[in-house]
Amino acid sequence: MIRRPISGQYATVLSLIAIALLIAGYTWLSHRQHQRNPDDTTIPSWKQLAGGVRQAVEVNKRSGERWLVEDLKASGFRLACGLFSGIAAAVALGMFMGCYTPAEAFFHPPLALLAQSPPTAALAVFFVLAGTGDPMFVSMIGFGILPALAMSVFLAVKEFPEELQFKAYTLGASHLEVIWSVLFQHVLPKLLDAIRLCIGPAMVYLIAAEMVVGDVGFGYRIRLQSKLLNMSVVYPYLALLAGFGFFADWGLRWLRRTWCPWFEGHRG
Amino acid sequence: MKTPARPSCLLESRGISHWFGQKRVLHDVNVRIRRGEFLSLVGPSGCGKSTYFRTIVGTHLPRAGENRLFHDPARPEGEIVAGPGRDRGIVYQHYSLFPFFTAQENVAIGLTLDGTSMGHRFLRPFDFRRCEREHMERAADMLRRVRLGDALRLYPHEMSGGMKQRVALAQSMIMQPALILLDEPFGALDESTREELQRMLIELHSENQSAIRRGELPSLTLIIVTHELNEALYVGDRVVGLSQYWDWKSEGHERCPGATIVYDKPAPVFEVRDSRDFEQFKNQRDEIRDVVFEPKTPSRRGVHVVSENGS
Repeated sequence: MIRRPISGQYATVLSLIAIALLIAGYTWLSHRQHQRNPDDTTIPSWKQLAGGVRQAVEVNKRSGERWLVEDLKASGFRLACGLFSGIAAAVALGMFMGCYTPAEAFFHPPLALLAQSPPTAALAVFFVLAGTGDPMFVSMIGFGILPALAMSVFLAVKEFPEELQFKAYTLGASHLEVIWSVLFQHVLPKLLDAIRLCIGPAMVYLIAAEMVVGDVGFGYRIRLQSKLLNMSVVYPYLALLAGFGFFADWGLRWLRRTWCPWFEGHRG
Repeated sequence: MKTPARPSCLLESRGISHWFGQKRVLHDVNVRIRRGEFLSLVGPSGCGKSTYFRTIVGTHLPRAGENRLFHDPARPEGEIVAGPGRDRGIVYQHYSLFPFFTAQENVAIGLTLDGTSMGHRFLRPFDFRRCEREHMERAADMLRRVRLGDALRLYPHEMSGGMKQRVALAQSMIMQPALILLDEPFGALDESTREELQRMLIELHSENQSAIRRGELPSLTLIIVTHELNEALYVGDRVVGLSQYWDWKSEGHERCPGATIVYDKPAPVFEVRDSRDFEQFKNQRDEIRDVVFEPKTPSRRGVHVVSENGS
């Protein structure tokens, strides 16, 4: 039957089968490719992949650095700063627009316009405005996620029933208390969901910018190793990015369950 | 034993008129509500009950006239309602509770908001925690009073409609507001839950009457907006009818200037032990239906008003 729920055990078994099929499919593809060309590096064997991982984590003879460590440090710093600044600005702007109608009238049109423009396409603008250092990557991520995130916060504030807002005033709340103790409580789970959706685009902006102007970082390393057809390094990097995205999503869902236990039931 | 006190006027609506563009909604609404009164406001759909309700809450101010609250003995001239405030509690049909708080938190939040400031919460966190614990204990006591001692940790989505409305009432009552306003509070409930909550209000009314008999000021004054006539007569001790079907031509208007008060009379007072027999007030119910709800028999203002000047 359509949408009939299944047991957790059954769901886990299905997930494990899907992952096993993915691994089996890759193994078969790689094996077939190596039968045709034993020196192939485009679909590396598991042994080649292990070699690629070693190459990434061992000290590089030429630079004296461990690629993975320096890339993690650079990309992690840029992503964390970009996400933090984008989220902070989006919460402030979204709440401001949702609470004060003049702010909505002022900010809504440019924000709606910016939301439609892909930041990767505006890369040149960021180079001009912020140079090619860390501030450029941070501002690109921050400005990239800002419009969509601010709109999510704004819409969450707008959908809050005004009856409950009036009720808060009759319970002695000041304007600031209505914003913090009432509206923000309502917005928080939706904000966490919106952040989950923003993690992917934020990574896209970062990798795209690093591919074009970076001299360190995940995007730079992937571009460089792709040019050399050194996919045994590229695939582990991609797997790391996917793993980061997966755990960030899981972490945000855990935060939502912990901070907003009411939300699942309320949403029905 | 002290002499029963004659409760003073708590809220006075003077010449309230309201309109939206060309649409006239309220016309010269004058009502005085005494402390301790349980006033039922009835009227046909679209007559402006909710608009009048909002003018008292203060979320929508009237275009003409004023609502004046006399809850502060230091200000005998009263205070004009200029916005929502903690002196008026409200219970709505929907959205009666904050979905992100448990029942206990929903009741305690008013005490916390009223008793502590943002600065207190952030700058004196240990003292704030102590206050919060105290508020939670008081909220638990209040919930036990409305027979919800077992539901302290439930979120609104885990409660039935009746439980939610009882929590909402507790949320308002714990603030000890001068006036509690209920906007169709039991409209979405099944009959047995509705009866249970009506009996709860009657219990509260009896407590008021006991206080008056002891010479004390009644603790609760209540306005209930309802479209259900039986409920209005059963729960309220006074019924006020707002209607657009009145004889406005006799006052020289060319078109209806909006709804006004066409009925204002005391209602029978029930005790909790009394049977809930709606046939007891059949005559008054028929009279209200005829005067307030019937478009074909517009009545003149003042004819069916006996308690307006009774404060």
